Amino acid sequence: MMLLRLAWRNIWRNRRRSLIILTSVVVGLIAIVFIEAVVRGFMRQSLDNQLGTHTAHIQVHRMGYHDNPAIDRFIARPEVVDAALAADARIAASSRRVLATGLLSSARNSSGIMLVGIEPEREARVTIIQRSIVAGRNLGLEPREILISERMSRTLDVGLGDKVVAMSSTREGKVGSELFRVVGLFRTSIMEFDRVHAYIPHATAQSLIGAGAEAAEFAMVLHATTDLNAVRDSLRVVLGPEYEVQSYEDLIPTMAAMVELTERSMIIYYVILGLAMIFGIINTMMMSVYERIRELGVLKAVGMQDRMLFWMVLLEAAMLGTVGTSVGLVLGNALNAWIAVSGLNFSWFSEGLSSWGTGAIIYPVLDPLGSVRGGLLIVAMCVLAALQPALKAVRLHPMDAIRHL
Amino acid sequence: MTIPILQAEALEKTYHDNGVPVRALVPIDVAFDQGEFTVIAGPSGSGKTTLLNLLGALDAPTGGRVLFNGRPLEGLSKTELSKLRLHQFGFIFQAYNLIPVFTAVENIEFVLTLQGVAERDRRRRALEVMKELDIEALAHKRPNQMSGGQQQRVAIGRAIATNPAIILADEPTANLDSATGGVLLDLMTHMNQEHGITFLFSSHDPQVIERGRRVIRLHDGRIERDDRRPGA
Repeated sequence: MMLLRLAWRNIWRNRRRSLIILTSVVVGLIAIVFIEAVVRGFMRQSLDNQLGTHTAHIQVHRMGYHDNPAIDRFIARPEVVDAALAADARIAASSRRVLATGLLSSARNSSGIMLVGIEPEREARVTIIQRSIVAGRNLGLEPREILISERMSRTLDVGLGDKVVAMSSTREGKVGSELFRVVGLFRTSIMEFDRVHAYIPHATAQSLIGAGAEAAEFAMVLHATTDLNAVRDSLRVVLGPEYEVQSYEDLIPTMAAMVELTERSMIIYYVILGLAMIFGIINTMMMSVYERIRELGVLKAVGMQDRMLFWMVLLEAAMLGTVGTSVGLVLGNALNAWIAVSGLNFSWFSEGLSSWGTGAIIYPVLDPLGSVRGGLLIVAMCVLAALQPALKAVRLHPMDAIRHL
Repeated sequence: MTIPILQAEALEKTYHDNGVPVRALVPIDVAFDQGEFTVIAGPSGSGKTTLLNLLGALDAPTGGRVLFNGRPLEGLSKTELSKLRLHQFGFIFQAYNLIPVFTAVENIEFVLTLQGVAERDRRRRALEVMKELDIEALAHKRPNQMSGGQQQRVAIGRAIATNPAIILADEPTANLDSATGGVLLDLMTHMNQEHGITFLFSSHDPQVIERGRRVIRLHDGRIERDDRRPGA
């Protein structure tokens, strides 16, 4: 206790110097905690949007569809899959889709398209498409309705109520075509997605390509993503080898790996900050030891053992680190909590962000436990920085130190 | 025959100043008994501080040896020497050398902490010592709030609090005016006479030399005279 008191008071002997080093720790920590939360928010939003627009948590296809997405590799008995999904309480909602590539044409222009045949009510529980409608409405009961992106509407130079023609290959290898009326425009934060996707009623899509009652895929969301692998594996068992059950980590492995890598690499930010601070701490502790050489000599003379002297210097550095880190973490997390309410508006380069699928507003994601882990690393690095000054103190000869001017 | 508390046998010390050897002490033989009040006197450079440092295990001799209660200090590890200083020696320095961030009572308590005395006991002991030295009023003052004389009293308190076998005082009055120095010497004389604490001074202050019951005069690293006063 006495040693703690001594170390604590020693820190404040040179108040200005300690405040300068503390300020650098605090400012560094605030910056790191803020950057960490923004990067985490960026990556999470990117992944969430990717999952929310189409991928969902898990998808089911007929085996081989991924390698060759042809109509004859559609799921022949979708009711079997529906029944299996309905039986698993961990699945919150699922959507059945027909997918067809083709051409969408207006009177003035045409564009390549991925037609997604959906049951609007089911799809609305799985993806954010319904919530992304910026004009008009979602698909209704009419079979010749189409929902296109705002971007596509500009490409085709069409608006709500205008007619467009969709063409796609049928099962027989012929070209099927259908006239649709635009009932709604959507806008997601993923530019590439908006460029190619359009939604039509499920039955119309089946009829357009001659798919009968078949479906291309099932997409589903879970109540808890922690069940992701468990649900995937149990569906694989239930549905058997005729089906391919893939989680989003299987479907978009690069994205999933990047999110994980980013989260794990956050510690690098702390290491960089720690390395930058090490020199400041070494300098502070060295000066502190040099200023007290005479006093350290007296401590040794009256019987303080080297071990204790060593710990005293380390304790001083640990206290500096702990105070700076604690204040930095509290302020950094408070700043993030404040910004997380309204998000950070990056609309001045929303085009770039759109290609990442994050949206113009990034909401920092707090991870107090993660930042505490990072903070502990900073404290440990502060202690590491004090090793040399502590050894210097230990190596002092008491008599020479007492004589030191 | 009693064993001297502290003894120097053929003790010598040579320093090297820019590679040039300087003999601070030529081989010296001297012994100190329990309860002595001894002054090592001599002009500057005579070797008195060097002798005191060697006797106090603060420095290592280049020849000869020091014995504490008949046990040679040579060969003791740094930790063993630290423990010896902590438990057997009390030090009083010319410049007081109190810990500036501690109050007077904390400065006295600190050495007791190093000895492992329980918190409650060390506070009681520190206040007891302060009462004896009549510095209770200074208990919560830091060194920079005290005069030189007051600081030296606290330093004496720190030295006697651990009940050491011997107190080594290096020029304890050098930074004080003669009146304050006199009061402190009265105090130390009282400690010696009432409690039997052994004092070993190095000083060239006539006031200190006058109080010594044994005065060892050094000159050029040699013992020139070793006088015991009547009744010593």
